[in-house]
Order: sequence, then structure tokens, then C-alpha cells
Amino acid sequence: MDLSVAIGGKKLPNPVGVASGTFGYGGEYEQLVDFAAIGALYTKAVTLMPRPGNDIPRIVETPSGLINSIGLANVGVDRFISEKMPHCRELPCAVVVNIAGSSADEYARVLEKLETCPGIWGYEINVSCPNVKHGGMAFGTDPAQVERLTADLRKRTKNPIIVKLTPNVTDIRTIAKAAQEGGADAVSCINTLVGMVIDVGAKKPVLPMGTGGLSGPAIRPVGVAATYAVSRAVSIPVIGLGGISGPLDALQYLLAGASAVQIGTANFVDPTTTARVLAGIREFCERENVSCIKDLHRFIP
Amino acid sequence: MKQFIAKILSHASVSDCFFELAFAWDAAAGPVLPGQFCTIRVSPYSAPLLRRPFAFSRYDEKTGVAAIAYKKRGPATELLSCKPAGGTINIIGPLGNDFFRFATAGYAHFYLVAGGTGFGPVAFLANHCAQRNLACTVVLGCRTRSQLPRLNLLPSVKAVVCTDDGSEGIHGTPLTYLATLSPMQYASSAVFSCGPAPLLAGCHEWALARGLSCFVSVEQVMACGVGACMGCAVRVTDAGANGFARACTEGPVFDSRRILWT
Repeated sequence: MDLSVAIGGKKLPNPVGVASGTFGYGGEYEQLVDFAAIGALYTKAVTLMPRPGNDIPRIVETPSGLINSIGLANVGVDRFISEKMPHCRELPCAVVVNIAGSSADEYARVLEKLETCPGIWGYEINVSCPNVKHGGMAFGTDPAQVERLTADLRKRTKNPIIVKLTPNVTDIRTIAKAAQEGGADAVSCINTLVGMVIDVGAKKPVLPMGTGGLSGPAIRPVGVAATYAVSRAVSIPVIGLGGISGPLDALQYLLAGASAVQIGTANFVDPTTTARVLAGIREFCERENVSCIKDLHRFIP
Repeated sequence: MKQFIAKILSHASVSDCFFELAFAWDAAAGPVLPGQFCTIRVSPYSAPLLRRPFAFSRYDEKTGVAAIAYKKRGPATELLSCKPAGGTINIIGPLGNDFFRFATAGYAHFYLVAGGTGFGPVAFLANHCAQRNLACTVVLGCRTRSQLPRLNLLPSVKAVVCTDDGSEGIHGTPLTYLATLSPMQYASSAVFSCGPAPLLAGCHEWALARGLSCFVSVEQVMACGVGACMGCAVRVTDAGANGFARACTEGPVFDSRRILWT
């Protein structure tokens, strides 16, 4: 059985990665997790300059979910390269650097700096963060901007480019198609949904920004439906994520049309989720005589 | 640090609102210090979703027993309170820094100030100090007499009790007690505090006004507990940290002068 995943001329050893923002730069989880079982580490988003992140509190739990408003807190690309990459490079898994920016120019400059740094498998372009005022989701909701940005980054690298899609749009397929037109090698589907929790006693939202990004099991059906729709609208691989906590959740995404998956919020609950999901996928494929991940796509037309 | 399934050795109320849960510690996770915490997955289902952080209330390396103290205040602690002795819990720990790294030479005495569930880590710290012949006074605040937890302090530890309603000990909060101390009493002392934010802020102000050091254990909603998610940020004064520090890894214990009190 072949569980590898081909994206843009490269191969991930297995289809189960850890989602950006939930695994830091890898080192944080080193004592708890066997990185050899991880298909890819999608790093915390990296921006051109360091960002302090949003005001506190930044997270609030919701029914089977979590709303975060971290605001792309990160050390900036220079320190990422000098302080984080030396360790990332030693990890036995693929390292996909998640790039965010306030302008097309910022994305380009971050990518260009990263291009000089060995050990990067590919890039995930974050055009879907709901927690920043400029850039992020503002890009990802406009197909023309997504296509232009992707095309611009495409010119600057041969490494795989994965565009991370926001579900906060009328039709996610149009954004996915724009990414494909721009030259993306894959799309990640989906980032968080905009959500709000109000403190009734205080008569104001719990998060200072008002809204945040909802993740966790609560959004899984939304992610599966989006994956189903997007995988039928584009020919590039779809990486499914949103609320995967176990093998059956991941298999829903793979059956819906995803070629790979990412584990996000579940890492907070059980850091070993990735290994458990991978083992479950393997067992299912053996039992069902499925030869490769692509073979799972034949079941649901 | 390790994730492991621990056997619950005892689980009992220690007052009419606080519980202590003791469990078998996995030596492979490493030793536990006062101020550190662990996270517990309280439900195998998706709600409550996140692991919950709990400070250690005791740890004995010889017997391999660790414990946490908590108060029922929501669905997660409600579920936790139902776990019987003999059952198991899913632990990640030890996490965070500890009080003791701040207990450097130069202090003759420590005021260990606790409010509410802060009694757990403070009692742990007090016994730790006593075993090392460091003089300390526990100042414990509670709403009322029936809430006062049994502390199991070593005989050499002095304890002062304060209740909001005056039903036991000093009528007021630990801050009421601190305010009565004379310069001769608090000379060469440092303050360690764990409890509600107003108590921590009060300890900070009291110490600052007297030129004493104060160390506080902060509380913040937490997702990962290991420094990855940036969710548990607290505001700090140093620009080098971009104005924020993570309670889970840079804390939970901070020099109170580093915290941006609002």
C-alpha cells in the first residue's frame, strides 16, 4: 500500500500533517510526539516582521470547538530562518512553511527570504486568517487577488505552493480555481470559520477583536463539504482539514476527495492524534483493499 | 514532560468547595516542582474539548504520588470531580516554570500568599521550603470558614488564615494581613502568590511599595500548554517579548514587575 502523496513534483511520505498554528515550529512538541509519523509540519505562519499578535484573551472554547484570535503572533522571517529553521531542518518530516502578509509584496519578500534557506519542503500561502485587519482573509475572499498573488509567488519558487482557503466565502470553489489558475500545486481546505462568543454578563464579546476563527470538531462537516466541492472543481490535490480528531474523521475527508489531511485543534487535546490517524488510515486501506489514497476517491462520485 | 495515563489514587473534597485528586506519577515524565502544572483531558468526547491546566498541590518523588487541587466551576471540573479513585486520567506534565527558580539566596523569609485554589501550589511550595529550612509564612484567603481547605503543612510552616466574612482567622483577605506587617517583620522577605488576579495585583503593589520582590503564578485560558499556540499570552512590560509572554512556558510564574497590570 502506498500512502505517499504527490504534490507539485514532490512527495509527502504520508498524508497526515499537523496544521499551521497548532504545532508551533515543531520543537514545542518534541518530547510528546514522534515526528517520524508526521507527514508534514505546517509551521506557525511567518510574516516579514515579527508580530506581537492580538490583545488578550485570545482563545475561548465553544461547543466541540475553539475560537482563536491569535493574530499571527510570530518571530518574523529573519528570526524564523536563524532560530527556528536549524531545528526544523533536523525533523524527520517535511516542513511546509506557512506564509502570511499584509500585502502581496510582503508575501513575496517572505518567500524570497525563505528560498535562500535549505530544508524547506514547500509553502502554504495563508490567505485565510480571519484575525488580522489587513491581508489574510481579505486576500482569500477575492478570486482575482488569490490568482494574482499565487501567480506572483509561483514565479519565485520551484517548491510546492499550497494555498490555504477560507470557508468564509459564498463559493469556495471559485477561490480554489483561482489558486489553481495562479499555479498552485495544492489547496488546503479549510481555515477557520468566523465566530463570536458574547459574555452576557459583561454584555460584550469575549475576544477583544470581537470575532475569531472557529476550529475543532464543530466545523468538521463544513470542512468535509468544502473538500467534496473543491476536489470536484480543481484538478490539483486538496488537503483537507477542520475538526479531525481520529481516523474516521480523516477518512471522511479522504473519501470526500482529499489527497492528504491536517490535524489542527486535536493536537491540543491529544498530541499523538497524528500517529493514531495515520495508523487508522493504513488499517482501513488494508481492510478495504485500497492500494493508495487516490483509490479512496472512487467510492463517492 | 510526558503524556501518560495515570491511576487515580485518591480523590476527595478538602473543604466544602475544593477537591484534591492524587494520582500515580510516571517517573519518566521527570520530577515536579512547586508552581508547575499539568493538563488533564477530562472527557474522551469533544466537549469539553480542551485539556484543562491544573497546578500541582503536592508531589513526592519517593512515593511517586502527585496531586492537584481544584474547585468545581464549570462542566470540565464537574466531569473531573466524578472520576473515582482507582480510575485513570490522561496527564501531560510537568509543564511550565516553577516558583523555586525565583527563591534565590538573599531572602530570609517568604510570604506565600494563596487565594481560592491557589492554596494547592502554595502548600506544595511551603512544604518544599520547610524541607529546605527556608522560613515561610502561608497566608491563605477564603470566602468563609467552611471553604477552608485542609493544608497538610509541615509543622515548621506558619499559617495565617483570612476569611472574607471573618468566620475564621483574620476578617478580610490576605492583603488585609499583609497591610498589618511592620517593616521589621517583612524585612528581607519576598512574596510568592497564587490566586485570583486582584490578589496577585494587590501582592505586587504591596511588595513594590516596600521594595520587596514578588512572584506571581498567573492564570490564563490555555489550549496547547506547551508553548505552540500562543493562546495563553499575558501582557508583560518588556518590549523584547513584543509585549506578550506565554503563561504556559515562560510562566506560569513571573516576577510581578514583569507583568503589565491593568
